[in-house]
Amino acid sequence: MKFAKLTKLTAMLVALAAPGLSRAEDTVKVGILHSLSGTMAISETSLRDILIFTFDEINAKGGVLGKKIEPVVADGASDWPLFAEKAEQLLTKDKVAVTFGCWTSVSRKSVLPVFEKNKGLLFYPVQYEGEEMSPNIFYTAEAVNQQATPAVDYLLEEGFKKFYLIGTDYVYPQTTNLVLLEYLLSKGIPIENIGGGFRKDDKGEIISAGKYTPFGHTDFQQIVAEIKEFAAGGNACVINTINGDANVPFFKEIASAGIKSDSCPIVSFSLSEDEFRALPTKDLIGHLGCWTYFMSLDTPANKKFASDFQTWLGSTSYPGIKKENRVTCSPMVLSYNGVYLWKAAVEKAGTFEVEKVMAALESGISFDGPGGKVTSQKNHHLTKNVYIGETLPTGQFQVIKSFDGVVGEPFLKGTFKKK
Amino acid sequence: MRTFTNLILVLGWSLSSLQAFEATIGSEILAKAIVASGEARATLLEEFGNESSYGDAPLVESWRRGEIWIAKLPDGSSVAIAYNGKPGTGMVTAAKLGDGKMVTFDLAQASASNPDRASRKLLTKVGNVIALKHPSDRNRADAARQLGLQADEEGLRVLQELLPKQTSPAAMKGFQEGIALAQLKLSKGDEKLAAVAKLGDLASLTARDQLKTLLQSESAMKPPNLALLAAIKKSLAAIESRQAIVESGATLFRGLSLGSVLLVVAIGLAITFGLMGVINMAHGEFITIGGYTCYLVQTWFINRYGSSGAAFDNYFLVSLPLCFLTAALMGWFIEWAIVRHLYSRPLESLLATWGLSMILQQAFRLKFGAANVQVASPSWLAGNYEWLGITLGWNRLFVIVFALAILFGTLLVMAKTPVGLQLRAVMQNRRMAASLGIRTARMNGFTFAFGSGLAGLGGAFLSQLGNVGPSMGQSYIVDSFMIVTVGGVGNIIGASLSALGIGSVDQMLQPLLGPVMGKITTLLAVILLLQWRPGGIFPSRSRSLEG
Repeated sequence: MKFAKLTKLTAMLVALAAPGLSRAEDTVKVGILHSLSGTMAISETSLRDILIFTFDEINAKGGVLGKKIEPVVADGASDWPLFAEKAEQLLTKDKVAVTFGCWTSVSRKSVLPVFEKNKGLLFYPVQYEGEEMSPNIFYTAEAVNQQATPAVDYLLEEGFKKFYLIGTDYVYPQTTNLVLLEYLLSKGIPIENIGGGFRKDDKGEIISAGKYTPFGHTDFQQIVAEIKEFAAGGNACVINTINGDANVPFFKEIASAGIKSDSCPIVSFSLSEDEFRALPTKDLIGHLGCWTYFMSLDTPANKKFASDFQTWLGSTSYPGIKKENRVTCSPMVLSYNGVYLWKAAVEKAGTFEVEKVMAALESGISFDGPGGKVTSQKNHHLTKNVYIGETLPTGQFQVIKSFDGVVGEPFLKGTFKKK
Repeated sequence: MRTFTNLILVLGWSLSSLQAFEATIGSEILAKAIVASGEARATLLEEFGNESSYGDAPLVESWRRGEIWIAKLPDGSSVAIAYNGKPGTGMVTAAKLGDGKMVTFDLAQASASNPDRASRKLLTKVGNVIALKHPSDRNRADAARQLGLQADEEGLRVLQELLPKQTSPAAMKGFQEGIALAQLKLSKGDEKLAAVAKLGDLASLTARDQLKTLLQSESAMKPPNLALLAAIKKSLAAIESRQAIVESGATLFRGLSLGSVLLVVAIGLAITFGLMGVINMAHGEFITIGGYTCYLVQTWFINRYGSSGAAFDNYFLVSLPLCFLTAALMGWFIEWAIVRHLYSRPLESLLATWGLSMILQQAFRLKFGAANVQVASPSWLAGNYEWLGITLGWNRLFVIVFALAILFGTLLVMAKTPVGLQLRAVMQNRRMAASLGIRTARMNGFTFAFGSGLAGLGGAFLSQLGNVGPSMGQSYIVDSFMIVTVGGVGNIIGASLSALGIGSVDQMLQPLLGPVMGKITTLLAVILLLQWRPGGIFPSRSRSLEG
């Protein structure tokens, strides 16, 4: 068994090392740029897996323009400058036709100039803060108006009047919360009903809204006590942009303080089914999530996608893929959609040339993905369905509201007028 | 009598799955509502609300936890049953909810039922009315407040009816608050004024938002009702001043609890680094060993007893000694294999243990996967206790007691046992102790194992507060060294005082500066302190010549 694995691995290495020898004509190189080690590996490895799955699926049906996809996997190792280096390598040395990759906004920001300089093409699949539109990046990700503002709409509809903002201290939560602050004010929520605190610059303008903790924060006593006091009068909810495993002590503290999802729900933007595998789901029951895909979506397309993925997991021999306990989540599906959109765009353009492919994408291409129909837009974002779900004891979401065909809008800051 | 039945119910629930099936029959209407859906379910739930008693509350709770399943019977009908287990296949016999009849069904045809948000909303109101008769004073008081916030005539009537029956001060306060809150919305004139004054007297935090809104709307009125405005302002001031006192008390408690966490984490290092002088960079990994031992014990209990109930709750108690033992054994082995060769070369021991730390982390990753694992808290650690308005989490109280127990246990071993005496002798003057016939090599092994075992206990406790993952120890290693150094290397009392001090300073600064700046300021304070007293708060003075 071990020997068999070893030979397979060697075969794979040889295949990777000597790609141009025999199959140069009938393959197209596609880059995968994710962290397969370091702190972000927990989340990003799943995206590598789904991309390999998608490539296998496409190759089995004849590939793209008659060429088989040949993945070139680069490990960003949760190290942002390394991401830029690896991107440079993918573009100049491997000469990939397209790259799928990045999770954190800081990794995207560090590869952005590399892709612009080398005229590459990057598909970015994870919810982000917006305020960016590079000619060389296509954002299949949820923009703020495809996750944060629909969630707030739902909460307003449910009659919540007080909003507490909490997040990890980096660019995504800070920017999202500033947009949300403007949005809440425009909806007539008075500023004293927005919790977490504000920081102002010299001119008195708010430059930061909400409470922020460092990455990997462990002690949430003070913050949870503040939330409890904030919510004592009822009608309060929490908007959570804490990233990574700091969510575990946060939710444990929430549960032990006796804050219940019925009276004070917490809507989290960085927790999907994949993260739930490592979270105490008992403490999360009834709290909310908002994504453009849930694994529990009851559609034939999603059922087929999920079961195909599980079958593939059982049969794949790709090294380092965990086979047990696997789930699908929004970032994975947005990666999957990205590959198919790229394929459709290439076929429409009739070439792999980045500029023409981008033009085809900008002209509007639709794909019926597991989360419903998505359509590419001129502004490099996607029109897609948005779902709000509540957490079940099984670590799945139950859909409680959906918005169909929401147009992705990256530039939101300053667009909401105060009433 | 009612309470007694509830107790039996809860006990029966947990003892074993079969007994639980017999004991949970529950309300027939609720059983119907669970099977139904949409409009029909809503109607049934409202009906349930009118008729239910507190005895149904555990059932509602297990419905929310996904421990009520809907099974398809061979005759095609669907029934609700209590089933606390995993999905699977095969025939299972269990009692039907509602009438308790035994039914046999195919597990493959059954699935967990969950109340949707709309049902839960209905259940909250139902739950509040039910909970007005809850045996615990605090739950009754909370329910009364919630009903008061909803402010409808019917709720107010129920509250006024039940107020004279309340005997404990806590429950009475809750009911009075509820009534005043409802009156604040519903009544006018003098009654409203009285309600405002009452809420001020009770220093009701729940009423603060309502009073603020009222203040705004009343100020805009023309002509303003000056008496009412003055009363609102006075009540708000009373609430704020009470809240300030409660907050400072709560901050003290939180400082104490964070200090205890830090002490639990660092006390092992106070022995291996403080007493033995081994710079053990793998200290964090012994914490991780404790965390994973806890996880393994939990998994074993889940497989045997299911994932809730009294039997499961015991897992944590069982895991405590095991965590100590596994970490201690590992420590013993590592002392024998690596550390003992490096006693005279502290820098090499730093490098060796650092390498060891990475090897262990990778080993955890290979064995348990890179992702964190879930460790659930036993139910007796999950809730909280409210004392004078301060919320004291059971897990937080437990860690304080636990830290004290570890501290006194360690001091006792050091001061009162022959082993402790020998240990101190070896640490003070190894050669002299050896010439007096103490087997120093064995003492070293013992001490290192003891310190590592304490780190394992710390890990067991951290699993209740945060993550268990391959790198959980890394987040605490810096804190641990900081505490031992600030306290004075070699001084256990010093380490505990420094843990307490750092915890309290951190919690006091947080509300003022936020978590990020708070942490930075604490670290700056530590640097300044060490500039001023390089040996820490309690520098150890040794008469031995080799030191």
